[in-house]
Amino acid sequence: MNAHASALAIACLLLAAPAAAAAEATGAAPDLVQRECSTCHGLHGISTAPTFPNLAAQPAAYLEAQLKAFRDHSRADPHAQAFMWGMAAQLTDAKIKEIAEYFSKQPPAPGTSADPAEVAAGRQIFENGIDAQGVPACMACHGDKAQGNEVFPRLAGQHRGYIEKQLEAFASNLRENEIMHQNATKLTARQISDVAAFLSSM
Amino acid sequence: MDSILSWRAAKAVAVALATLAAALAASSPASATPGFARQTGLACEACHTVFPELTPFGRLFKLNGYVFSNVKQLQDINEKDQSTLAMNEIAPIGLQLQASFTSIGHSVPDNGTGVNDLAQKNSVEFPQALSLFYTGKISDNLGAFLQVTWNPTSNSIGIDNSDLRFADHASVPAIGASDFIYGVTLNNNPTSQDVWNSSPAWTYPYILSNIMVSRIASALIDGQLAQSSAGLGGYVWAYNHLYLEFSGYHSAVTGFSNHYTSGPELDSTYSGTRIDGLAPYWRAAWEQDWSRNSLMFGTYGMQANTHTQGIGFQGPTNSFTDVAIDSQYQYIGDNNILSAYATWIHEDRTFNAVTTSNPSNTLNTVRVTGSYFYDRKIGGSLQYFSTTGSSDALLYGAGTVTGSANGSPDTQGIIAELDYLPWLNTKLGVQYTAYTKFNGASTNYDGSGRNASDNNTLYVFVWTAF
Repeated sequence: MNAHASALAIACLLLAAPAAAAAEATGAAPDLVQRECSTCHGLHGISTAPTFPNLAAQPAAYLEAQLKAFRDHSRADPHAQAFMWGMAAQLTDAKIKEIAEYFSKQPPAPGTSADPAEVAAGRQIFENGIDAQGVPACMACHGDKAQGNEVFPRLAGQHRGYIEKQLEAFASNLRENEIMHQNATKLTARQISDVAAFLSSM
Repeated sequence: MDSILSWRAAKAVAVALATLAAALAASSPASATPGFARQTGLACEACHTVFPELTPFGRLFKLNGYVFSNVKQLQDINEKDQSTLAMNEIAPIGLQLQASFTSIGHSVPDNGTGVNDLAQKNSVEFPQALSLFYTGKISDNLGAFLQVTWNPTSNSIGIDNSDLRFADHASVPAIGASDFIYGVTLNNNPTSQDVWNSSPAWTYPYILSNIMVSRIASALIDGQLAQSSAGLGGYVWAYNHLYLEFSGYHSAVTGFSNHYTSGPELDSTYSGTRIDGLAPYWRAAWEQDWSRNSLMFGTYGMQANTHTQGIGFQGPTNSFTDVAIDSQYQYIGDNNILSAYATWIHEDRTFNAVTTSNPSNTLNTVRVTGSYFYDRKIGGSLQYFSTTGSSDALLYGAGTVTGSANGSPDTQGIIAELDYLPWLNTKLGVQYTAYTKFNGASTNYDGSGRNASDNNTLYVFVWTAF
């Protein structure tokens, strides 16, 4: 290719870009969500990697509380420190509200299939708790469909790996929450895995 | 006879020195940058598996123009409430230090004037390189990765990898692209703008000894234009899968003068390769991410006509056409991180500006790398590398240590590395390069009795960025 053809091709690219920018934007994602949150959590709050939780249909009150906890460093599990302390550092209360409202209104993540035996065992814990170990039913706070309620997060359709990590972090107090600490320390690794399998399949 | 031999040896060592200097100028210390961490408030692990390899998040950070910022901004607006300035209150700067020990299998001959010190088998460099970075946001949509590095060979400070980048988001619903990134990059090293670690500028080995013996041939796109070219290009990242870029590179020689400024004729003293006109560069890649996995298949290449050293921009040119394919796979678990990259570069090289035996030659480069890290703390990498090509006794001439007795550029071997990272920004490594073939042969490759394994290199380093 000669120099003129190369220059022309670059010029075309440069000219095409602003035209594309002017194209009608779709969706109502706040700018911040589109440029930053979506990188890990997906534009509509459904993430690819289990390192990052699905935020779609999460109660706005829970999201607000978490973003404020990241901002003031009161939520301090390893991924919170690595990612969210920085992300939330400059967020105003108004921005936090806007982000939380947006994700709370997105359609929830569809469940992913898991081993039926694990799902059944997890359902048992979720619906009835484990009396012998003093573990209450998860649905008492998180809702009968694990849909969440105010500051209690939605768990249905959440990544299995993320739920397991959070329960481990509650147990070790890397993520501080007294009630969840009590519950998580009473669960075995097998039970954590089962309940996470069930929730991710919902 | 003796005097001829030693003269030849001296000449060979001088050529080796020049090659080493060129290789050093071309090889840039690949980098993770503390400036980005300072600007974003994110730990290294957000953008890097183990520095400098990028995670999917790191790739998007780069594609978005390095602008994502979580620190206080100095800002301004106009009367229409449009932003006219948004700059980090604190500059995202950082430093990088590399220090190393190198032991070559068999020292190079020590009979050239002024090069006696290079004949030693073991060498310590402190520092091997010291870099200053400005990496991050300049304003909304505009960011930079700028690096200056002190180079021990020339004892001077020079421009290292540099990338000035504009990026924005747009949507074209008509083609199903509800949100895509488009950008413009101005950089000084073909493939340094790339976001995957399988293309040459940012691939394993991320750090190499300055003192290794350089092979006789490398493809043009494989570092030969690093820091001596200027490329302007446009790219898009669409559907969260597809990357397309087209750039054009021109020679950008630092420190030149011309006869109007009473210096020598433009570029005539520059010793490196100069591109005649504009060299087109292209890149296409498809990335598929699922769960903790990321897989990319891609192709890249460039076509350049170049002038050889010392003859300005006049006269016949050499022609290089590089066509490459590459692939990268990553598994990023909470504890286990697995990466694999591969690339194959085919080069058609025709030399009109220098005399060769064949009217045209081919050169094929293959690299296949696997890497594993546990907890981002301890791990290792293994690479098989191969350069093969048509033999040409005039192009790949004889010469002690750096020459080829049979005119073949074939060089093959492995590079193994073990790393320990006590902290995310500090890497302690032991690397071993073993050659099964060097410049065409396993034994007596240079015709002076040197074997490929004599160039095996043990390299121990510390690399930290802060």
